[in-house]
Amino acid sequence: MGKKLKQIAIYGKGGIGKSTTTSNLSAALSSLGYKVMQFGCDPKADSTNTLRGGSYIPTVLDTLREKGAVKARDVIYEGFNGICCVESGGPAPGVGCAGRGIITAVELFKQQKIFEELDLDCVIYDVLGDVVCGGFAMPIREGIAQHVFTVSSADFMSVYASNNLFKGIKKYSNSGGALLGGIVANSMNAGYSRDIVDDFAARTKTQIVQYVPRSITVTQCELKGKTVIEAAPDSEQARVYRELAECVAAHEESRTPAPLELRELQEWAAKWSDKLLELETGTVPGGQAAGI
Amino acid sequence: MTETPFHDKPRTSCALGGALAAISALPDVVPIIHAATGCGGNLMNSVAFGAGYLGSSYCSGASAPTSAVTETEIVFGGAERLREQIASTLKLIEGKLYLVATGCMTEMIGDDAGGAASEFAEAGEPVLAISTPSFKGDCYTGYEILLDGIFNRWLRKAGAADPRLINVFGVVPGYDPFFRGDLEEIERIGARLGLKVNTFFSPTQTFENITAAPEAALNVILSRTRCRGFAERFEEKHGVPWWATDLPVGPEATDAFIRELAAKLGIDGAERVVAAENEWYYRYFERTADSYADGELRFYSVTVTNSNYALPLNKYLYRELGWTPAEIFVTDRLEEARREDLLAGFAELPVKPRFVSGSQEIARSIDQGRPVYRGQRYFDALTPLYIVGSTLEKQMALRRGAKYLAVSFPAYDRAIVAGGYAGYRGGLRLYEDLIGSFMSAKG
Ligand SMILES: Nc1ncnc2c1ncn2[C@@H]1O[C@H](COP(=O)(O)OP(=O)(O)O)[C@@H](O)[C@H]1O
Ligand SMILES: [Mg+2]
Repeated sequence: MGKKLKQIAIYGKGGIGKSTTTSNLSAALSSLGYKVMQFGCDPKADSTNTLRGGSYIPTVLDTLREKGAVKARDVIYEGFNGICCVESGGPAPGVGCAGRGIITAVELFKQQKIFEELDLDCVIYDVLGDVVCGGFAMPIREGIAQHVFTVSSADFMSVYASNNLFKGIKKYSNSGGALLGGIVANSMNAGYSRDIVDDFAARTKTQIVQYVPRSITVTQCELKGKTVIEAAPDSEQARVYRELAECVAAHEESRTPAPLELRELQEWAAKWSDKLLELETGTVPGGQAAGI
Repeated sequence: MTETPFHDKPRTSCALGGALAAISALPDVVPIIHAATGCGGNLMNSVAFGAGYLGSSYCSGASAPTSAVTETEIVFGGAERLREQIASTLKLIEGKLYLVATGCMTEMIGDDAGGAASEFAEAGEPVLAISTPSFKGDCYTGYEILLDGIFNRWLRKAGAADPRLINVFGVVPGYDPFFRGDLEEIERIGARLGLKVNTFFSPTQTFENITAAPEAALNVILSRTRCRGFAERFEEKHGVPWWATDLPVGPEATDAFIRELAAKLGIDGAERVVAAENEWYYRYFERTADSYADGELRFYSVTVTNSNYALPLNKYLYRELGWTPAEIFVTDRLEEARREDLLAGFAELPVKPRFVSGSQEIARSIDQGRPVYRGQRYFDALTPLYIVGSTLEKQMALRRGAKYLAVSFPAYDRAIVAGGYAGYRGGLRLYEDLIGSFMSAKG
């Protein structure tokens, strides 16, 4: 990775596994020797929990609210293997403007030049779900992250959220914003799910950077408040995350994706629905092998 | 030829601005601004200086209470800050009604100002919230939102109706710079008919005029373009019918106004009042005839005003003074249907209004479609020209050698206090101002 700071943003539908993937990625990168910061950009502020034994840390915005000003250093907490953990935080659900909160928190860090001071190799922003407003697009604007990865399963709603994200990336791509590194395909168990995400990646002119299976190891480690890398370093799942980390570390060139229009996306989904039905009813052989 | 560029200053402000200007003219009504720091002050300057130096009043302008939200409230929500502000305002400032008016920021983040206000209202405090972000509309919209809040939400239904009581709406405080003088003339005329007139925003009015409003027999809307929805909702809630007409300026328009008003209310006495007022008016006006005729005080007119003043003013210039309308510019933003309503009123005038608000465009379009002098013997040179507009037209008038008077917002090259152009008295005053403005060069 050299000494050039690499800034990465992870997006995806809520509950799809962004924080799990991000934390394991951070842990794997740090065990590869990189100095990493994980910046949770979700008002839930639970991004870094598994890097810190399952505990919540005070957030940038809470500190700002209480003290009126924030020194970046005061809201960085050390996690597994020296990883710098930060949570932007946000308002209580239903009030205020979480989007503006993300902007405030990210700007505050940018202004204080803390990344340079800490001599980081990599900052990973773990951003809430859809790009619902300008605030959640902040990490992909000019001068913040260079690369975006989306975590997606083969579920339509997850693909839909990724496609929306691609629209956001495309919008900012002309003004120096971050570009798309690729898709982390999560919960890849059923045989056909790979085909679906592969097809989606091909249609939107991007790539799959890693297939992460759904695994009980993740659940077990999460219950201990730990990443797989920390709690089960010799497991198959840990190997998968390490491979992802190597891929991300080596990743240089991101691209502008080609998001589908809504109608195209619906047609695409309908086509897959037919195909799955055929597999299920046995009209087409191979259903068993495909995991149906 | 080098053109001196115009500085295009706005002829309006935002919904919050319109509401605040109106609240400042309501006795015992206290504004509580729920907006970012700056909104209150900037909007106060708009009318305090731009409306003929209207200034500010009790707890308005620079002393208006505000939540002055900053980034913390924007991120975490500003409703708590607002509650604090309402509580402290109730403690420190005397009033009979406290109006929370929101700005853009707090609306964008979805602060529930209405909820905060009703908590106080449920505890028996007279607190009401109105939603006035700029993206809802301009100052005229803000005025209507305010009216809706007070009259259609806050006021309770009345018991009995008073057949001799009327309410007057449509004249927008500050952005109709003569609102006080104009409303008082309507009050005076109404009184001559034996009516009680609620105008709410003139200095003769008290808070009781507001609370008595639901008892009125008629709502008179002095605007062809404003307050339609408001009047309809008022009728729905309080059962008061409405009549939309123009602000009457000069004897002809005011005669018609009196007759129609009396007919609507089914009262006698219109002819008696009309006769007496005309007697009075013309005993003054006849004496202007010498200077008017001998001095050749007739002009081509170009007017630049909002939609409220365009027709009354042009009718006066055309029908009372015999001037020749050359251009009529209407500067406020109107929906298509409201434009149609306005255009209908111009049927009897030789020129139709154009809907333009940029000073540059107005200056340019005065000459558009007119023959240009190329040595012809007969040539319509549009002189002598009189521009009746806002102070933004002053430089254009000077360049063209035209006579000029500011009557519309912003008017900051004159002081407007009790003056107005409505009715008979206003008709004479308009004459004084039009002629006096250039006679002052003599001597
Ligand atoms: N590959 C996986 N295998 C098993 N469980 C997973 C996997 N990825 C995510 N999960 C589980 O899904 C839940 C939601 O994941 P999380 O990372 O918090 O989602 P997000 O951050 O996208 O909202 C967590 O309980 C997590 O343990
Ligand atoms: Mg998460």
